[in-house]
Amino acid sequence: MSLQLVANVVVLAAIYALVSTGYVLIYRVSRVLNLAHGELMMIGAYLLVSTAGVFSNEPVIAILLAAVSGLIMGIVVYAVLMRWLTGEAVLAAVLITIALGILLRGLSILVWTSQQFYPAAMFGWKNPSLTILPGVQISAASVAMVCLTILVYVGLFAFLQFTRWGIRMRAAGQNPLLAEQRGIRLHGVYAFAWGLSTFTASLAGMLLSLDSGVEYTMATIGLKAFPAALVGGLDSLLGAVIGSVIVAAAEMIAIQYVNPLLSDVVPFVVLLIVLAIRPWGLFGSREQLDRV
Amino acid sequence: MSEPLLAIDDLEVAYHRAAVALHGVTLRVMPQTIVALVGNNGAGKTTTMRAISGFIGLDDARVTAGQIRFAGQRIENQPPHANTARGIVLVPERDKVFPNLTVTENLAVAASRRATATERRHLEDLVFQFFPALAALRRRLAGLLSGGERQMLAFGSAVVCKPELLLVDELSLGLAPVLVEDLARRLSDIRKELGITVLLVEQNVGAALAIADYGYVLENGRVVLEGSAADLRGRREIQQSYLGQASGEERRSYRALRRTPATERPHG
Amino acid sequence: MSDQTATARDIALLGTLARRIRFAVALALLVILPFAVKPFLLDLANQVLLAVIGALALMLLTGFAGLISLGTAGLLGAGAYTVGAMVREFSAPFWVTLPAAAVLGALLGLIFGLPSLRLRGLYLAISTLGLHFIVIYLGGEYEAREALSTGVIIDSPSIGSFSLTSAVGWYFVLLGFAALSLWISVNLQRSRTGRAWRALRDRDVVAGALGIDVQRFKLLAFMVSSTMTAVAGALFAYYRNFVSIDAFSLYLTVQYVAMIIIGGMGSIAGALLGSAFVILFPYAIETVAALLPARFANMVFALNYASFGVVMILFLLLEPAGLMGIGQRIRNSVGTWRSRRSVTERP
Repeated sequence: MSLQLVANVVVLAAIYALVSTGYVLIYRVSRVLNLAHGELMMIGAYLLVSTAGVFSNEPVIAILLAAVSGLIMGIVVYAVLMRWLTGEAVLAAVLITIALGILLRGLSILVWTSQQFYPAAMFGWKNPSLTILPGVQISAASVAMVCLTILVYVGLFAFLQFTRWGIRMRAAGQNPLLAEQRGIRLHGVYAFAWGLSTFTASLAGMLLSLDSGVEYTMATIGLKAFPAALVGGLDSLLGAVIGSVIVAAAEMIAIQYVNPLLSDVVPFVVLLIVLAIRPWGLFGSREQLDRV
Repeated sequence: MSEPLLAIDDLEVAYHRAAVALHGVTLRVMPQTIVALVGNNGAGKTTTMRAISGFIGLDDARVTAGQIRFAGQRIENQPPHANTARGIVLVPERDKVFPNLTVTENLAVAASRRATATERRHLEDLVFQFFPALAALRRRLAGLLSGGERQMLAFGSAVVCKPELLLVDELSLGLAPVLVEDLARRLSDIRKELGITVLLVEQNVGAALAIADYGYVLENGRVVLEGSAADLRGRREIQQSYLGQASGEERRSYRALRRTPATERPHG
Repeated sequence: MSDQTATARDIALLGTLARRIRFAVALALLVILPFAVKPFLLDLANQVLLAVIGALALMLLTGFAGLISLGTAGLLGAGAYTVGAMVREFSAPFWVTLPAAAVLGALLGLIFGLPSLRLRGLYLAISTLGLHFIVIYLGGEYEAREALSTGVIIDSPSIGSFSLTSAVGWYFVLLGFAALSLWISVNLQRSRTGRAWRALRDRDVVAGALGIDVQRFKLLAFMVSSTMTAVAGALFAYYRNFVSIDAFSLYLTVQYVAMIIIGGMGSIAGALLGSAFVILFPYAIETVAALLPARFANMVFALNYASFGVVMILFLLLEPAGLMGIGQRIRNSVGTWRSRRSVTERP
């Protein structure tokens, strides 16, 4: 196995891991599976296109603005749509996220048209291929992706473990009823979880767009990251990392040694295998299964 | 006569708009007292607790008649956080702690706006004074605690919310009698120290009446007997039916001892 | 009729004279329809009839038996590709391909149904999603290997020298299949199997305790539903004279899910209403789009997506009982209006 393959796996795993944080955050806190996550990630990338259009000389501002808009987008989605389903059957919420995803796909074409955009070009940035080790080449944007993923994970771990609101979010996920009894406002916690989720999704989308551009088919990456989250256990961040590595490795190996066309289906084969053996994933909590 | 902190009048609660769980319950809880609500399974004790704490919406239940007044204000059918904000804190029967949080985190979780940061810290310290055993378990996951430790933690996390009225739903479930006595005594100490009011729902009548000031007996959704704890303890009916001290005569149920006379509906 | 017991009379589908008259009128209208409308509308009607088969299949599985499945598109594709592959490789006639599609459907139903023995609700849906992608991949593999980048072209089904090409002819064939699906659905609903499925849907743990062979009925539900869906896919391939794997996307599955939700879950009439609604909806949008400024008018595809998403959300939020629910509300308010009127009109 060549080092280049390992490098490719690391990069792909980083993408899946970063996208997975969104699935895990929302599922862990509110037991909802957000199947519109891929589309929300895509909109985050499109937001960068818009801000880059206005602030093409100030990439930092453009990126920050797009990221903050991504955060607000999640809160808005909860406040306008998902809050009405809090307390209702989980399946209804999931179906609504599917419908939301479809709505967002249409909306993104209506607003940004179906052409492909290259925010990196808009900033005048190049994306050179770096030789990090002998015989191992990855793009600069990929390096940024891996660094960002590590940063985000460290930040999330710290937030959930050590801050009061992080603890409250974990509490709300374990026992929403008791959380309410202790004064935690569930709507606020859920809205923040959604905001955090779309925030990380937007970051992922933006970085992907800096690497390879953005167009409306980008949302499929979001769907492919979902098996990674599931394999690790939908409510575990650590699981998401491990799951991402497993799925990325399986995918890259299959592409290299079996058939390149397998790339879109390998994640789902892994998904089915895990569902057959251990449905709650490697690090997920077992009770979740019965609650559904 | 001082005003009751909690006044319930002719409360009726129905599940799914069809199954009536409470048929007109009336009770009073005076400030800084411990009031016990006893009765067998299905008597309506938990339903009463849910109605007071605002978690009545579970299982599609609703208050269909009657009033609940807390400090003079009506609180029926209000959302839970409104009642928590008023200082009504519930220690539930099941799922009373966050299993994957440590003891310290369980105490830190409470988000009551009633206590300032200093008061909070003071209350957290108090909890460890009331329950010294917990101090050694600060970093233990709550799910790994024993039953008694978990109940102590549940009390602690309620105290940290700076309650005015503490609702305790079944403190004795699954615990050894010695532990139950101990916990009951500590609850009484907390009441004295913090000046809070406690409404205690219990199947273990003996333990409840040992610390209570006043008691109500529920059966089939109605109050069938009430009185001061000393009174109730002395009543032969209580001794026979609940304390297991039957003398061999016919065991009687409370149908024969209803408070209100023949204006009842025919079937209990 | 006088020999029937009261109960038999009650549950007979066409027991009353009023019902028989309504049925006869509906039948007459259905028969006249193809001759009375424009060819464009006839094609729409055919599409609706095709959709009805798939919608009823999904209704059986999800509405009756409570088993969530997101595999509809994969099954439709499997049925369509059976036809495509068999026609291309062996020039097989339809009386071979259709049963073959049905058999493949049953087999896939068994496979799709296996996860349901261990998983419920959300996780079951996820497993069917995974299977969908695998089926789609296999179809794509076939296309790639045979270098069929634009799909497989199929001749219309024929017997001897007679070829089914006219829209009117197709209408009656599809009407027959839709009627058959309807007949199967209604009968299953009222049979022991249907009752077992309802028990599964409501509380499968309890059902098992009551002696219902939960596993057998779950697999049966998947197999029946998948067989119907695969046949629908096969008919689709013949109707369009064309099969391409691109047509069988997740969006297609969502459309079928929308049909039973918008129509009203758990109701056969709902499946019919929902099919009509979802099929006709894009055409309504196109008409509206023509009135919009040119920039949007050209993005009909996107408009379809966006408005479909909005409609689905609205139904899920406001009227989860679907069109049947709306119909019920209208009937209720008309009923109370009538009784209020009659009260005030009393002298």
